[in-house]
Amino acid sequence: MNYYERPTPLQETANAEAMTVFAEHMKQFKSDCENLHNLERNLTTTANDAFKAALQSSGHQIQTDDGEDWQHGVKLMENASLCHRRTVTGLEFAIVETLPLNSGAKKDVVNSGHDVREVLQAFTRDQRQTFKFWKDDVTERVRDHLAEKYPRQDMSVVAESFAIKLDRAISQRPTQTQNQSRGVRI
Amino acid sequence: METTPTNEEQQTTIAPPAERLAYSVQEAADMLGVHYFSIYRLIQRGKLKTCRALRGKLLVPRTELLKLLQTDLS
Repeated sequence: MNYYERPTPLQETANAEAMTVFAEHMKQFKSDCENLHNLERNLTTTANDAFKAALQSSGHQIQTDDGEDWQHGVKLMENASLCHRRTVTGLEFAIVETLPLNSGAKKDVVNSGHDVREVLQAFTRDQRQTFKFWKDDVTERVRDHLAEKYPRQDMSVVAESFAIKLDRAISQRPTQTQNQSRGVRI
Repeated sequence: METTPTNEEQQTTIAPPAERLAYSVQEAADMLGVHYFSIYRLIQRGKLKTCRALRGKLLVPRTELLKLLQTDLS
């Protein structure tokens, strides 16, 4: 299939129909990607806020499922927070993800370390990977939907256009903020 | 001549719903009562194992969901 060819009228119809069916997914995907981009853009500010909170030992107590105690620092996303605690080797930071199951919330430490910026960067890298994972699955679901709805028709160009749209949403790199370019260190 | 089945006949011909072996990410999210991004996170972090359908769509085995709930309840 040549993706540079003009799509057939049937492919255009299929694309419009699939866009309607998967509209909510696309909207959610773009919105969640935007949250990640914001976090990447404001990484230095977030790291500073978390560091200040850690110095003041502020924030409510959180016990993760491995029995470790942390203090809540900064909320990063809906189910993820940057937490902190004092240890004999200095301040320690962790990304704690909460999974609000019907039977009760699970709290997991996703990654931790003494350098708050590194902890945050590892988290954003990890999130990007998850978005790629999500993109692949949504593209397969679109492919699946098209194969059922338009049997024996080549709709690969339509599925590919979804993959490209999702890729674009993920790959918007954050622009360097003034703080980052000044090399603010903690 | 065609005959229409009675209610009783209709009831006996309907098979009981078979227990599903695996669910899509969206279905798994609905069953656990979480957002589907959380399911992708669990899969990525190796906390939830998946299999793939013929065309490559991710499926979460029922046993994996039960395992997750069991560790949650324990």
